[in-house]
Amino acid sequence: MLIRLAGGRVVDPANKRDGVGDIWIRGDRIVAPPQGETPDAVYDVSGKIVMAGAIDIHSHIAGGNVNTARLLLPENHRAHRPRPAATPLSTAGWSTFETGCRYAAMGFTTVIEPAVAAHHALHAHLELADIPIIDKGILTVLGDDDFLLSLLRDGASKAAVADYAGSMLAASKGLGIKSINPGGSVAFQNNARTFDLDDVVPTYGVTSRKIFESLQQAVIDLGIPHPLHLHINNLGVPGNVDTALRTIAASGDRPLHLAHLQFYSYGKEGKRGFSSAAARLAEAVNSAPKPLSIDVGQVMFRQTVTVSLDVVRQFDGSKLAKPRKSVIYDGETNGAGVVPFLYKSDNFFNAVQWACGLELFLLVNDPTRVFFTTDHPNGAPFTTYPDLFALIMSREARAKWLADLPKEAVEMTTLPSITREYSFGEIATMTRVAPAKLLGLKDRGHLSPGALADVAVYNDDPDRAEMFRFAHLVFKDGDLVVRDGRVTHYRFGRALNVQPGYDAATDRRLARYYDDLYGLSRDMFKVPANAIAPNYAFEEVVCGR
Amino acid sequence: MDGAAVSLETAAAKAARLLETAQLPVIAGLGTDVAGTRAAIRLAEKLRGAYDHLASDVLLRDIDVMRQAGRMVTTANDVRLRADCLLFIGPKLSEAWPDLAERLDLSARPRLAAEKAPRKIFWLGPGRGEAAALGATEIAASPAALPLAVAALRAAVLDRKTRSDGSSAQKLKDLAAALKAAHFGAVVWSAESLDRLTIEMIGGLVFDLNQKTRCSNLPLVSGLNAYGVVQTSGWMTGFPPRTGFGRGYPEHDTWRFDAMRMIEAGEADAALWISSYATEAPKWKRQVPLIALAQPQTRLPYAPQVRIDVGAPGRDHDAIEYSRDIATFTLAKATRASNAPQVAEVVALIDAKLAKGSEAC
Ligand SMILES: [Zn+2]
Repeated sequence: MLIRLAGGRVVDPANKRDGVGDIWIRGDRIVAPPQGETPDAVYDVSGKIVMAGAIDIHSHIAGGNVNTARLLLPENHRAHRPRPAATPLSTAGWSTFETGCRYAAMGFTTVIEPAVAAHHALHAHLELADIPIIDKGILTVLGDDDFLLSLLRDGASKAAVADYAGSMLAASKGLGIKSINPGGSVAFQNNARTFDLDDVVPTYGVTSRKIFESLQQAVIDLGIPHPLHLHINNLGVPGNVDTALRTIAASGDRPLHLAHLQFYSYGKEGKRGFSSAAARLAEAVNSAPKPLSIDVGQVMFRQTVTVSLDVVRQFDGSKLAKPRKSVIYDGETNGAGVVPFLYKSDNFFNAVQWACGLELFLLVNDPTRVFFTTDHPNGAPFTTYPDLFALIMSREARAKWLADLPKEAVEMTTLPSITREYSFGEIATMTRVAPAKLLGLKDRGHLSPGALADVAVYNDDPDRAEMFRFAHLVFKDGDLVVRDGRVTHYRFGRALNVQPGYDAATDRRLARYYDDLYGLSRDMFKVPANAIAPNYAFEEVVCGR
Repeated sequence: MDGAAVSLETAAAKAARLLETAQLPVIAGLGTDVAGTRAAIRLAEKLRGAYDHLASDVLLRDIDVMRQAGRMVTTANDVRLRADCLLFIGPKLSEAWPDLAERLDLSARPRLAAEKAPRKIFWLGPGRGEAAALGATEIAASPAALPLAVAALRAAVLDRKTRSDGSSAQKLKDLAAALKAAHFGAVVWSAESLDRLTIEMIGGLVFDLNQKTRCSNLPLVSGLNAYGVVQTSGWMTGFPPRTGFGRGYPEHDTWRFDAMRMIEAGEADAALWISSYATEAPKWKRQVPLIALAQPQTRLPYAPQVRIDVGAPGRDHDAIEYSRDIATFTLAKATRASNAPQVAEVVALIDAKLAKGSEAC
């Protein structure tokens, strides 16, 4: 099948391209314009915007805690549209099926679930198998399990830590490693209610800093493309910009990704002791060595639910739960918390948070270092992305919102003074080029010949939210799956994972450890290569330094 | 089919016809692995029918309290490794989970606890002989008295006065003191033997304890992948079982979509009964047209129109199912692999025989 997308405005910053032209697709790949061949299908996309499929590096779309949130909050996701015949369960509110459909409708073709506890990986993969259209992957969470903490306590070599991480990745079929308030879950089990960068994990004598630095090094040593994905300490706490700045300093010039930095951009100024320090933090990101990247975790005003493995934070946050019911989980390799939350535009604190996120988007200069997230669903559901695109692309859209926010909140931020508006090129860099690079996905994020034919075509609607909510056309692997914002049929994407080499003796050591500690075979905790679902296939992302 | 042996294809085609000509078919039992559950829920949607699980009464009692009040919850392995003080509540826990004492490694000290002292173990309202078998300190209470006993324990934890007196009051005070002094306490119970009020009270007790110390719930969820069906249902439709698709989208209603009620009330006019783990049979009296995917030894209450003997997950075939041992899903390898058909295959075959045709996913 040879397809020609004719006459659209092609926005492909990886190839420094922004102008009217054609894109050709053969099979599942982009190809160079063929000589003397007639396409099997031609789509006239003149006046439309053509980009590669978007990639979301951080969205909690699957796994035990997300599912707990579904079960905890049936009132939040009543479905009310009969489904179209060809796409089963696509209107089941907040189902895996709806997740795939709504992402695809916005032109997203790859989404990463960034927080899967090592022992819960099979559950996450089972849910991902029921998410249609998009490719997906998980980040495996390490940092709180006894095996690692014992290695660090006993002064194990860097190689031993890397071998352990490699083995855990293989067992969980992860695309990379995340660490979440490292050591915090163990501290919480020992009755700590706060946990900072230099606090010591009870009974192990190891600091949070030591855990994160060790895992950061392990990722480098294993040659995993995606740097350590770090959820730092003190999320949501007034004055926590300090923690973020100390963490950035600790990272030095080694690769590191800081998740949902909006939640760490708070100062303590003003009558209420809560202010935006996002400008300071953005400056620190701008001047930090290149391999540091961040995603925002934008807050949007609406009902949502926070789902996080940062149990210290979630237990504290449960005091503010709305509706007033939370699930707080102690698990042997990581805790977690599911806390419903209502962000309101007339709430001083929420208004400051909203502004903080936008300040980060607009004040971090380089769109390859700041990633587009709401930390779905923690800051807002991913379905608010179109509105967020509109906000960063239009000063006027922001001004409208600012006018309605509490004045004393606006005074605590620099947002009103910021004039920057994202261009299509910058949007494509932030949501296509940069995420592909950050995850090591060489054939995505661009429209060069040979690239995977994941393509989104948008109407150039002056209402940018409308434009990004319903893509005109979306191709996944060259297959037209969305027309005018509606998924026409299902296909199932692949699960991306890495398979770095490590010393196989580690597997034997871990097998003995599980036998001894749990009285269970380690095999029980492993993700089987087959048998997850008939339509579930893995795709290896190559490691190497 | 109607008592005569036919090919699987023929049986599936007959089943498909029965289900698609019904006004409101219900898929009941749902005793199956993840693959079987996925296939069954998709079929239910296509039929615009409803689905329920044979253990829904217990499952939903637990879930109803959780989704009303929230919960703190932990796993058997966490209790094994860290809990220094355990409180069992209610009778028949050793029936609900026969290997429990071994999984929790009760006779050993908690290996990952900050202080590795011997565990303190209490049992409030055990069945006869249960507490002694575990070496637990027994505090007697009948099931009917449990809500009040737990309320009195909560009061003692909060240092409030209670009206109860005598030796049981002193025992509850001692228990409260032990829970408050614990580094990581665990309250172990099962919705199979408790009513809603008690489960609610226990949840409140655990929240109260966490104001100053650490404690969590260990609910002993139903086995045989019942909890896995809840999870699978959760991600597929957003809801647990007792969900219907009559209006073209999932609606969850614990009363309306109770399969037994639907059938007895004459609302559901055909049933697909699935029970592949055990020889459970439907309990309804009204003889609606019945298709049964069951283990060969199952004794059904009346003659089904179609009966397909299926293999047991984890015995006849590999299966992904929820494991209480690890509090999540695992691959259970076949222990006696056979060619007996799997629920997922059979349901997919029925799906494919529907006049509407099958979807390619
Ligand atoms: Zn997150």
